[in-house]
Amino acid sequence: MIDLVNVSRLYHRGTDEIHALERVSLHVDRQRFVALMGPSGSGKSTLLNVLAGLDRPNSGEVTVAGQRLNEMSEDQLAAFRAHTVGFVFQFFNLIPVLSALENVELPLLLTNLSKAERRQRAETALRVVGLSDRADHRPRELSGGEQQRVAIARSIVTDAELIVADEPTGDLDAKNAEEILSLLQTLRRDFGKTVVIVSHDPRAEKWVDEVIHLDKGVLLDKRPGGAARGAAGAPG
Amino acid sequence: MKYLPLVWRNLGRNPLRSLLTAAAIALAIALVCILRTMPAGLDAVLASAAANTRISTHNEAGIVYSMPYAYLAKVRAVPGVVSAISWNWFGGAIDVSKGVEFPNFAVDPDGFAEVYADWGLDPKAFEDFRKYRDAALVGHTTLEKHRWKVGDVITLQSTVFPVTLSFRIVGSVPTATPSFYFQREYLAQALAASGAQFDSTGMIWSRIDDPERVAPVMRQIDEMFHNSEAITSTETEKSFVGNFFSGLKQLVTIIQIVAAMVTLCIVFIAANTASMSIRERVGEIAILKAIGFRRQTIFSTLLAEAGLLALVAGIAGAATAGFLLKGLQLYASSAGPQLGPLTAFAISSAILVEAIFVSFFIGILSGWVPALGASRRSVAQTLREVF
Amino acid sequence: MALPLSYSWRSLLARGARTAFTVAVIALVVIATTLFWSLIGSLKRTLVSSGSPHNLIVMRKGATNDGSSQLSLDAYQTIRFFEGIAKDPAGNPLVSPEIVVQPFFHTTSGARENVLVRGVEGPALLVHDEVTISEGRMIHPSSGEAVVGRIVTKRYQGAALGSELHFGNANWKVVGILDSGGSSFESEVWVDARELANNAKRPFPYSGFRIRVADDADMDALARRIGDDPRWALEATREIDYYKQLSSTANTLYIIVAGLAVLAGIGAMFGATNNMYAAVQARTSEIGTLRALGFSRGSILGAFLAESVMTAAFAFVIGAAISWLLAIAISTAMGGIGFASQTFTTNVVVLRVAPQDLLMPLALSLLIGVFGGLAPAAAAARLRPVDALRKA
Repeated sequence: MIDLVNVSRLYHRGTDEIHALERVSLHVDRQRFVALMGPSGSGKSTLLNVLAGLDRPNSGEVTVAGQRLNEMSEDQLAAFRAHTVGFVFQFFNLIPVLSALENVELPLLLTNLSKAERRQRAETALRVVGLSDRADHRPRELSGGEQQRVAIARSIVTDAELIVADEPTGDLDAKNAEEILSLLQTLRRDFGKTVVIVSHDPRAEKWVDEVIHLDKGVLLDKRPGGAARGAAGAPG
Repeated sequence: MKYLPLVWRNLGRNPLRSLLTAAAIALAIALVCILRTMPAGLDAVLASAAANTRISTHNEAGIVYSMPYAYLAKVRAVPGVVSAISWNWFGGAIDVSKGVEFPNFAVDPDGFAEVYADWGLDPKAFEDFRKYRDAALVGHTTLEKHRWKVGDVITLQSTVFPVTLSFRIVGSVPTATPSFYFQREYLAQALAASGAQFDSTGMIWSRIDDPERVAPVMRQIDEMFHNSEAITSTETEKSFVGNFFSGLKQLVTIIQIVAAMVTLCIVFIAANTASMSIRERVGEIAILKAIGFRRQTIFSTLLAEAGLLALVAGIAGAATAGFLLKGLQLYASSAGPQLGPLTAFAISSAILVEAIFVSFFIGILSGWVPALGASRRSVAQTLREVF
Repeated sequence: MALPLSYSWRSLLARGARTAFTVAVIALVVIATTLFWSLIGSLKRTLVSSGSPHNLIVMRKGATNDGSSQLSLDAYQTIRFFEGIAKDPAGNPLVSPEIVVQPFFHTTSGARENVLVRGVEGPALLVHDEVTISEGRMIHPSSGEAVVGRIVTKRYQGAALGSELHFGNANWKVVGILDSGGSSFESEVWVDARELANNAKRPFPYSGFRIRVADDADMDALARRIGDDPRWALEATREIDYYKQLSSTANTLYIIVAGLAVLAGIGAMFGATNNMYAAVQARTSEIGTLRALGFSRGSILGAFLAESVMTAAFAFVIGAAISWLLAIAISTAMGGIGFASQTFTTNVVVLRVAPQDLLMPLALSLLIGVFGGLAPAAAAARLRPVDALRKA
């Protein structure tokens, strides 16, 4: 599903050069739930952005779902994100002026679906995350956990193969964090999605199939997560 | 148009700001409409004077210099002149302390219908004008201003001659400028009664049979009087009216400069709001891009937002202008004729529609730079900086 | 404890671009109002400054200006010996009989305008004591000579000192330049009264008289005596009132422009309010910090209001400076502005921004500052410190 070969990403901050990623190679299979972990500044968010088509590496090959991202134009990358990737962010990042249902429907505006079809799909996605009864609420009327579930509904509504989530539990309490991680695991198990999250929450480890550690832009090690060992939820 | 609800919702995001911006633009647009109406009033008068076979003969020294009344018969005899009439300034006032509120002239009723055939007046009005000694034909703007109607009798005291005359209104004249015409003979009789002689005229207006002959006829008239006691100058109606209002041109320039300043104001108000509302939303825009919205879509929805706000404001402004112009017309009608057509404040739908377009265009223009900036911003960088 | 003004000042600088926008909007409103206001001011200064407080103007009853009045020689000969009229050192009454005609003149750019030509006799300069001959000399009677106003000499063809000026089907030799300290006499041409009456074929030699009264206290009594005389239907008015009446055109313009200025001002106020709200929103946490440090609601309100008023005052200074330059540029490029007065003669007004023309734009911009800042400043002061800090 995901193939990164010798990917490097360099930033300039003032006169300093920051090596966010240094020759990182990574392979993730289809229908896996993977966590990228590491301290702040380790390059885990940059890695997530690169494989989701949000950021471009300075060098190295990126292939996701059989598509080579290196040669794509900005618009092609946008189309790739629209069809292939679903996003979940730490601060939920719902559009405040739209209702829960409309937020979920938003990515479908980019498709050729009719209004009725869009509405139906959005309702289905909201049902998957268990929020059908909150469809007409604005984001500020929802709790943090509910907002993140709306965001997850938004990420799956286009039937994207890859779901990426940057610190999805970072702004949530323990109970809600567990619920969100469980939901993400459901996506991989029942809906066949590939899920990649960035987290420094140790709780995440027991839900995922694989934990990838980074530090200072370098891939340190890969080891099986709790789900692979059967520690929590159903075995992968 | 599936993005329209999104655009609409975004305008409602900060209702106070949208309202203040729209109100500011609307007032500026209203102002521009009113300012542009002033020179447009002048243009309308010049355009309505386009009858190209009507010519004016007057003393070369100036309108206040007179010509012998006998000149009229000589002009009528010139080949090519279909008919001709004389005009004498009466300077009549309803109330002398208020001054002359509209120009009024003693004219010859014979030939009047031919000289002003282009007015398309009811033949009966011309017929009555000839028939009744005290008949008056009155400009429709003058009628409306004083709430007179055909059949009313009104009295004017002359500020030029020592007479006061009563007139019966027999017809409404469709000219853009205020006007009032009555029979020369009526004035002549009143003057004869007080022992004064009346044998001069200020202007002679003639209708020429063929546009091609206008120039030679004008030359012939002026040559005819070249060695007489009053040298004449003959010109087309358009040239005469243009010269009459030439003094207002510089005032018009100042009005136009002010209108340009106010338009520039709109640009700043609209641009400021567009940049504010886009700047505080960079995070959200990055999210939209992350979930796959293309640059162009982002750019056009942001532009649509700025354009829609300005469009709504423009319509409100044009409506406000229409409303205010009505009031100004009433007020300015008591002001006297010194500023001429500049204070006619006639509502022109062309100006209002144009203003709405200008407003929309400015909205789009002012949204361009911030929208382009926002749509070009790198998502990864924004996410790093904002979240 | 009040916040120092430097807090407001630095806040403005910190939001450079946004402040610049607000300044631009208010400055443009200031320019627009100042231009219109000084136009009216210049018009009023030119017309109202005409006339002497010691003079009466006598015209036929019912005439609204001396261009439409006609008086007999007989009336002149009688009235000049009325009591209460000032006399020159030789004992001649200071009565100036005058005839007014408005012939065509051609401007140097080719436009045709009606210019007021005044036919005068000997006492004219003594009665109109604000008028002086600044160059050349006064006309001699019956010599085909003319003196022209300071503005006329620049504006019309053939009106330079020493050249032949053509009007009224005749040529006149320009022998002097009239100066009246900016009043409307500078838009006039003066020639011999009888020559002008002959030229215009007027049956009566005079349009009106100007009378210098011996004692200002007797002015109204003398005016009544002339008006009540049953032999002629005459009317005597104070000269300054006569010119004030002629400038009533400006009054209309005054009210229209005031209305438009208020409209523009309200618009700019909305724009300024908008910006101040944005400033308050952007600084929510800052306000929270200040409140937590112990600054009172009043001092927060004061600081934001000061910021808004400072912006408006700064914009006023910029706008006023630009208007002043624009007025000079317009006057240089277009000469004076020709105003048709009630006599349909051209009064040339030179556009100039006088200090008093700036009072109303100043008041307008300060109002924009105060009212534009009031609501947002109140909103800032209402923020509770805990809420403000949490929002950060």
